[in-house]
Formats: sequence, C-alpha cells, structure tokens
Amino acid sequence: MSELDDFKATYFDECSELLTELEEQFAAIEAGERDANRLNAVFRAIHSIKGGAGAFGFSDLVGFAHAYETLLDYVRDGRVELTDDVVTLCIRANDIVSDHVAAARTGEALPADYGQEEKARFEALARGEAAEDDGPPIEEFDIEFTPVMVDLGLDGDAPAEDDDCFEESPMAGCEAGQWEIRFTPHRELYARANDPLLLLRELAALGTLQIKPVIGDIPHLAEFDPFAVYCSWEITLNAPNTTEASIREVFEFVEGDCDIAIVQLGAGTAGEARPAGENAPAREDDEDDAFEEAPSLSFSELAATITPTRVATPSAPPAVVAPKPMAAATGESEDGRGGGVQSIRVDLDKVDRVVNMVGELVITQSMLTQQMDETLRARYTELVRGLEVLAQTTRGLQDSVMAIRAQPVKSVFSRMPRLVRELAQKTGKKIKLETIGESTEIDKTVIEQLSDPLTHMIRNSADHGIESPELRLQRGKPETGTIRLSAEQAGGNILIIVEDDGGGINRERVLQVARDKGVVAPDATPTDEQIDQLIFAPGFSTADKVSDLSGRGVGMDVVLSNIKKIGGSVHVRSWTGKGTRMTLRLPLTLAVLDVMLVKVGINPYVVPLSSIVETIQCSRAAFERVPSGGQVMQVRGEYVQVIDLAARFSLTSDTDEGNRFVVLCEGEGATKVALVVDDIIGQQQVVIKSLEENFERVDGIAGGTILGDGNVALIVDVQGLRTPAVHKSAA
Amino acid sequence: MEALSLRDDLGDKSAVTAQNTLQLIAFSIGEQIYGVEITTVREIRAWNGATPLPNTAEFVRGVINLRGTIVPIFDLRARFGAGPTTATKNHVVVVMSVGDKWVGILVDAVSDILTVSRDDIHNVPEGNTVDTELLNGIVTHDTRMVGLIDLHAVVANAKVDG
Repeated sequence: MSELDDFKATYFDECSELLTELEEQFAAIEAGERDANRLNAVFRAIHSIKGGAGAFGFSDLVGFAHAYETLLDYVRDGRVELTDDVVTLCIRANDIVSDHVAAARTGEALPADYGQEEKARFEALARGEAAEDDGPPIEEFDIEFTPVMVDLGLDGDAPAEDDDCFEESPMAGCEAGQWEIRFTPHRELYARANDPLLLLRELAALGTLQIKPVIGDIPHLAEFDPFAVYCSWEITLNAPNTTEASIREVFEFVEGDCDIAIVQLGAGTAGEARPAGENAPAREDDEDDAFEEAPSLSFSELAATITPTRVATPSAPPAVVAPKPMAAATGESEDGRGGGVQSIRVDLDKVDRVVNMVGELVITQSMLTQQMDETLRARYTELVRGLEVLAQTTRGLQDSVMAIRAQPVKSVFSRMPRLVRELAQKTGKKIKLETIGESTEIDKTVIEQLSDPLTHMIRNSADHGIESPELRLQRGKPETGTIRLSAEQAGGNILIIVEDDGGGINRERVLQVARDKGVVAPDATPTDEQIDQLIFAPGFSTADKVSDLSGRGVGMDVVLSNIKKIGGSVHVRSWTGKGTRMTLRLPLTLAVLDVMLVKVGINPYVVPLSSIVETIQCSRAAFERVPSGGQVMQVRGEYVQVIDLAARFSLTSDTDEGNRFVVLCEGEGATKVALVVDDIIGQQQVVIKSLEENFERVDGIAGGTILGDGNVALIVDVQGLRTPAVHKSAA
Repeated sequence: MEALSLRDDLGDKSAVTAQNTLQLIAFSIGEQIYGVEITTVREIRAWNGATPLPNTAEFVRGVINLRGTIVPIFDLRARFGAGPTTATKNHVVVVMSVGDKWVGILVDAVSDILTVSRDDIHNVPEGNTVDTELLNGIVTHDTRMVGLIDLHAVVANAKVDG
C-alpha cells in the first residue's frame, strides 16, 4: 500500500461525500430553491472532485468535470439561466460524474464517448450565452482566441492602467502590505484542468487586485500552438493583513505546475522573489524551452506534494482577514470550510475498539452493582453512591460512543433518487421519489447493509408496483406515481418504510406462481398477509417477462437475507389498487443486543429478545408428535415446530419436563419455532462477541457474549436452528 | 536453567543462538512431555471452566472469556484420542496464537522452558497417522522425548457436521 494509494482512498472517500452533497443540493434546487449558496456548494463539490482527479491523472473525469464546472460557473454568474432543462442536464451530469468516479476507483474504462453528448451540451450552453468570454478551455482551443481580449471577470477590478507598480523599485504610494506576484502557468496547469481565473478570483478575496497580463510572447497565428501557454500575469495585491503563506495557499493546488514569485513591496529588499517549488524562474522569452524544460512532475510526486497538505491540514486556517468570506469567493480549496461542522476522520477499527471497551465497562459496572447486597448497602453508603454515579456515567458513555458510530440514513437515501430516475426512464413510467426522515441515525454497520435491500425494494416498487401512466390515468390516479422512502425511530428500532401508490400485490398471481414453484402446497390456503410475504421467498418472481430491472427472482429474497443478517425484519402490506408498503425494522445498533437469558442443561444461553413472541411453561403447552419423531406444538390454532435445545445441543437436562419452558420465537416470514429450555433467568443487554474471530462458525449459534460473572454465554441462532430440521423432515 | 545459560552466552553468541536454537514451552499430558515454540505462547492460565460449544468435536472443550475476547479451548488429551481430560483447578490452559487466531490448549501442567538446537529435531516415526499429523517433530531433552505440537493440525476439523 503506497502513500499514493492512501491518498487515492481518501480522495474517493471525499468524492462519495461530495456526490452525496450534490444529490442533496440538486434535490433542493429541483424543488425550487435556486439560491446562490446552493449553486456555490455544487460548484465547490465539482471543483474539488475535479481538482483531486487532476492530481491523480483521471483525465476523463477531469475533462467532463471541467466542462460541467464551466457551465456551473456561467450559471452562477447569471450568464446562463438556470432553467428546468439546465437542472435536468446537471442532474444527469452528476450521475455521469459519479460513474466517472466509480470507473476511476475500480480502474474500469467507460465507453470513450460516455458523457460526450452532455459535455457538448454544456459547451454549447456556455458558448451560446457567453461566446465572447470563453474562459481558457482545455479541449477546444478556439483558434480565434485573442488573449488580449480576455475578460478576467473580476467585476470592479478592471485591469489597471497604472501598471507602474511593477517597476523594480518600491513605489511611492505603494504602502506596506502590497504584494507583487508573478504568476506563470505551465502547460501542465491547464492539462490538469486548473483555471487561472479561479485562482485569481480567490486571490481577489484576499484584497484589492491589479492584474496585468504579459502577452508579448504570443506568436503569429501561423505559429500558434493551441496547447502552449503564452500568457502570464503580473499581479499587485493590496492586502495589508495577509501573509505570504496565505497567498501561496491560493496556489497550493497548482504548485509545481506554475512559477510563482511573490515579493512584498515596501518591506525587505527587491529580488526577494522566490520561485515556487523546484521550478526555475519563469523564462517567458523562450516559451518553447520553458515548456520543454519545466520539470513535469509524475502523478505520484504531484500527489505527494499536493495531497498531504490537503489531508494533513484540514483545519489550516483560511486567509485570516479576508475582505470577502471565502465561501462567497470561488471556493477554490476545501480549506474554506472554517466555521462549518468540524469533523475528523477516524479509522472505524479505533471506534470499534472503544465500543468494545465501553461494552466491557457496562458489564463490569452491572456486575459490581449486582454484588451489592443489603448489608453492604447499609454499611458503605459512599460506595453505593459512587456506584450509582458510575452507572449513570457508564450509560452516558455508552450512548455517546454509539452516537459516534451512528450515521444519518441520508448516505443511503441519497443514492435512491438516481435509481428512481433510471428506473423511470427504463420502464417508461413517471415516478417521483419522496424521502422523509433522512437525518434519522443508525449504526454504521446497519447503514452499510441497507443499500442493497433498499435498491431491491425500490426496484420492485417501480417495476411491479407503479402502473404505466396510461393505466394510472385510467384508474383515476395522478399520472406520476409516488414512491415514498421514510425512516423513523420507534423505540429501540429504526423503521425504514418504502411505500408506493401503485396497484398493490397481485395476490392471485403470487399464489399461482408460488404453487407452480412449489413454495406453497397446492391445497394450502394462505391468508392475504401470508401471500404478501411470499414475495420474499427465495427464487420467487411474478414478473411475466424478465426485465433487466427485476424479475430474475433474485432480489426480494436478498432483502430478507440482508435484513435478517443485521437482526432486522421485513413486513409487507398491500392494498389492491392503492399501493404497497414494505417496512424494514432494524436494530438501532448491532453492538448491544437485548436478550433473554435462559438455561439449557447447566449452561446459560441467550435468545435475542427481538425474535421472542412469548414464553410458556411446558406443563401448559400442548405437544404433539409428527411421523418423523419430532414434536410440534399447538399455539392458538397454529402448529409450530418444537426444538428441544438440550437435545439439539447434546446437553443433559435434569429438569422435570413440566418445569421446563417453551420460548416461542418468530423467524423468517412470520413463521414460528418453539424452543424448549430448562429455565428462564431473565432479560438483559449484552455485547455481541464473534465466535469466528478465534474459532469458526458453529451451527445454531449466532455468537457469544460475556455475562456479568465473566463467563461466556452463547447466542442462539433461531433461524439457523430451524433450517436443518426442516430439511430433515422434508427428506 | 537453560534460560540462564542462554543469557550468559548472549554477549558473543547471540546471533548464532537465535538461528540454531529453539525455545519451547514444555507441558505434560499424563507422563508424556510436549512442547510448542515459546514465541507462539501468549498466556498461561489455570483452568477455570469453559462454556461448551454445541455441534463441535469432543476435543473442543468450549470457549472462555479472555479479557473480552472469546477464545476456544482444545483438550489436547482428547485430541490425541485418549478421552476428555477431567479438568481441575490444577490443570492449565496455554493460550497461543495460531495464524491470526488465539486458541487455548488444555494440558495437565506446564513443566519448563527448554532450549533445544534445531539440528536435534528428529522426524516423527512413520506408522500412526495421528502422530505424524499432530507432531511436527521430536527432540530429546535430558534423555526424555519431547513431541513438538503442530498447532494448526490440533485446531483443525473442530466442527461436527449435521
């Protein structure tokens, strides 16, 4: 793992955050909030993606982002009107940027013309409205380009007539705080899609600028090399409160791709000019040589010079006394984030270690509390008080640590608008997505497991749920179908609900297919609710034809297995002709589990509380035998498979049959299973420990946990217990 | 004692010592002595019970809590096919690392730290697959035979299917 790979990983992390931000901003813009702040945020995001891409040499991404950015810049200036068409184009552009990022991450190549159509439209839009001031483009170097005419766009800071500030001697009238900057970009600067205009604008944020282009080197048109650089700038910056460091910071991104000489006028001697990096001072006289000899850094070197600064000093103070707030400037670098939400990147392993230790602390604390009997309580009142405070602090600590792992579901939800757009396009339906409760927070691990199930559920809604526009109108519904995605907290659970206002589940068809595929016995008559749940059965699909969206029969069973894996459950409800609602019930956190502690033989076992329906004393339970020799039990008219945990785990049970307990658990798809245990000890919270870490997976055991007395108790895998037994009885 | 003499030699021969010799933790199962390389040993603790694991082989004694981590315990006597150890407080668990996993081995007692030369390691006599599978080699120490345990082999096949 080289340093460069680390930087790349960081870059891609940032990209996914920025892409999420883009989705958000455009959701708001699409909803009509077209203010400058949103556009600035979009611009910043695209620019940061482009900047990093340039450093790593992802040229396709850079090219596309550059064209996109140019359009955004014009939109921001008001030169291109932000019409609905432009918004739609931008949203499409976000998807393309996202694909480019994904391609760069995996190293796969996108089709060469991917996004070219959109890119051409950007350029057409940008040219159409603002032909006379084409910024320095990177791809199409207009042959009619006359650098003399370049409008630097620095409103109010027209190129100064009195260039005398550039005379060698410090000028009368040039007080301290005046800086003379000579900025000579190299060919590489443009090749990496940097734009001098943006740099100059950012410089303008530091103080008043006077800019004089050096254009004497522009050759005759016949000798003009469209990729060569003929223009440099002499800049006088009047910014008494700024430092050389903050000026250099402006050029941080392009360090190595340009020559910068900075001299403070009225302070120090002339000739103090220091070239940036290892580059020789500018040699404008001989532009060809300048280009041939300018040290062209390799990407790795470049990344080493640029990225560490960005990563290592995220909190580097932005220009301290900027006349304009940095955000209102061009937002050239991410360092302009001062005053926003402060955050640090922490390795998840480190957080997990803290979570684990807090878990241990909770257990130790409860163990201490259990040790306090009445005599001790009476004798050591101070100790008791101390323990109470300890209990409180521990709980607070636990909550805070869990909050660190928690993330808003937004990170998953924000991927869905694009999915819905694509689905709408492919199916020819009109679908709009509403999201509610995006700021609801869930454990990071849960969030990571949520993306696939949600994708499948939304696909299912779009493909099977929402009807075609014609049919909808015929049924008296609005032409555009709605899929509503919402998240809310309900007690110790998070509910994620996917609702659509489509046709609902076609129960007859579902039952028909289920019978054909042998999922349901031919003579069985399941209830409506049971039929609805059938869509989660493995290998089940009712789609008449296999589309590339859904219908291969994989999908909804993936939802179920993913959700089960993280201790959640899925429930579906459908109203014919009105729509379908799928509810995911997820645990708030995976680290702590509410369990019922039971005894099997002499050993403690724990059963996740979320799966327990009820407990019954064996003497009151109605057991029956089935031909396989197994037992079933009747619970309110329903026959449920009975599993004697002692027998299953090859343990000896000394308890009288009548004194044992039945723990009725609900498994997959509302099917129940009755576990027979020797005793019920009580409920408690436990920290889940992996068995696989030092051993391997054991059938029927989901993991382990450490009890207050320091002993290990095993967590019963209710679903895992059931599966082999079903096979046996079926065979 | 071996450890002490090693320290005396450290001054001039340490490089040679590191290359040619092997330090072992020696422990006993009944009358027989076995050893594992000292660098794999993480901890030695008294037997204090273990939570049995269902659906595992007889020689998997169960799991224990080692400062918050669940560690499986293997009964070496049972692994050798001599039936489960009737464990008491005097029995010892040697916690070792095998690959990236930590496991505990239940033995009767830990006897010594031995320094042996790598050149003195003999092959396990062919004949019984249990011996050749579970032992890496044999060394002689003070006229006694010490079997070098192959930890990877000991912890393998711990699961019982069905």
